[in-house]
Amino acid sequence: MSILSAFEWQALWLSFKVATRSVLFALPLAIAVAWVLARTRFTGKVLFDGLVHLPLVMPPVVVGYLLLLIFGARGPIGAWLYQAFGWRLVFTAAGASLATAVMSFPLMVRAIRLAIEAVDMGLEQAAATLGAGPLDRFASITLPLMLPGVLSGAVVAFAASLGEFGAVITFVSNIPGETQTLPLAIYSAVQTPGGEASAARLAALSMVLALAGLVAAELAARRVRQMLGR
Amino acid sequence: MNRFLALVAALVFLWPPAAGAVTVFAAASLADAMNAAVQRYSGPGLPVRTSYAASSTLARQIENGAPADLFFSADEQWMDYLQQRALILPGSRVSLLGNELVLVAPADRARPVTLRKGFDVAGLLGDGRLAVGDPANVPAGLYAKQALTWLGVWNAAERRLVRAENVRVALAYVERGEAPLGIVYATDAALARGVRVVGRFPSESHEPIHYPLAIVAGHDRSDVRAFMAYLKSGEARKVFSSFGFSAS
Repeated sequence: MSILSAFEWQALWLSFKVATRSVLFALPLAIAVAWVLARTRFTGKVLFDGLVHLPLVMPPVVVGYLLLLIFGARGPIGAWLYQAFGWRLVFTAAGASLATAVMSFPLMVRAIRLAIEAVDMGLEQAAATLGAGPLDRFASITLPLMLPGVLSGAVVAFAASLGEFGAVITFVSNIPGETQTLPLAIYSAVQTPGGEASAARLAALSMVLALAGLVAAELAARRVRQMLGR
Repeated sequence: MNRFLALVAALVFLWPPAAGAVTVFAAASLADAMNAAVQRYSGPGLPVRTSYAASSTLARQIENGAPADLFFSADEQWMDYLQQRALILPGSRVSLLGNELVLVAPADRARPVTLRKGFDVAGLLGDGRLAVGDPANVPAGLYAKQALTWLGVWNAAERRLVRAENVRVALAYVERGEAPLGIVYATDAALARGVRVVGRFPSESHEPIHYPLAIVAGHDRSDVRAFMAYLKSGEARKVFSSFGFSAS
């Protein structure tokens, strides 16, 4: 298609890859954290809750900077990953996924947590009296019932990942084809003389994608609710 | 409650702008020298406010009506860009400072590099990347592209670049050890303790690096002129040369 230039397609395709990896990586962890927040009580829970939500209220550039300090070439984890496995996160698409995963994690946890809290614990207890073990109860009762929340959390996180700017540019810079996602491509286009048309196209595209993501999240949630007969 | 809201609104909307302040938009590479020059200034227009970013960013901001009085660019192109749009006073434009382009490496990994035609840039980088200002728009990146092209290694280097939003970001990547090599101005390299200059690009490998200064159209006030005259004075030039800038 010739509506977008090669540079714009590259940014769009890369954004999809980065956001997909980010969501797949973060989803299991988000379900676990949401479960802990919804169902358990422990001292320091308020603090834990705060920590989980921190990326939502912290300046994204701070998140990017902290990632750089921790996962950079001289950071404690970054240096170890490189020595042990030859993995590099700074300036790579994998690093961009990590940054977007951290930024969108709270959005995912919030949606999933609400879904878990809405699950009728009486059903789980009934299953327990009928002899179902904890894993069985989770797999056949809790997980299906919380699925709308998981789905909408994943889709919202995906849409937010497509749009993450500050953490990405600070942590992995702005490399075409490697870390230059949609918002970074827009930023570059705005800076470049004669880049206005490209910036406008990409901006319109990212708006459409964000809206599509939100609508998809809502539709998915409705569909699953219908399937569950509620 | 209403009184409180009124107070907040008053603070937000009626915050008095600093009276008589001169606002300078200057290239990122000028930041430290400019701050030192501003500190020594005692004429009209105080407090002098400064905003540092890539010249491309600043030019765009001025184009969109940012309240800058003076624009101090790291290349002639972005000054031309504003002049073509009648956004600066052409008569006020002067080329004030010069600079050099150097190759830097983290201090603990610095080995001298001979910058001759066809030097093995990919071999030097290993699996790392070359930090530069974005060659699409950041002046330091444009000069870097010219120099690498002149040396015949642009094709080898292009895919290995980290394109930073301004030259100081490229410098920081090298200083933190994220990139094994970077191309910055000699003045930037001199400021960063964590980097060493491992090579100097021949001056004929790129367009001369000049820093033009001009008054933004519609901002021709006496305090702005006074501060500009100060920047051109021997006193300010001494400050700039102490940071490694040459006279242009």
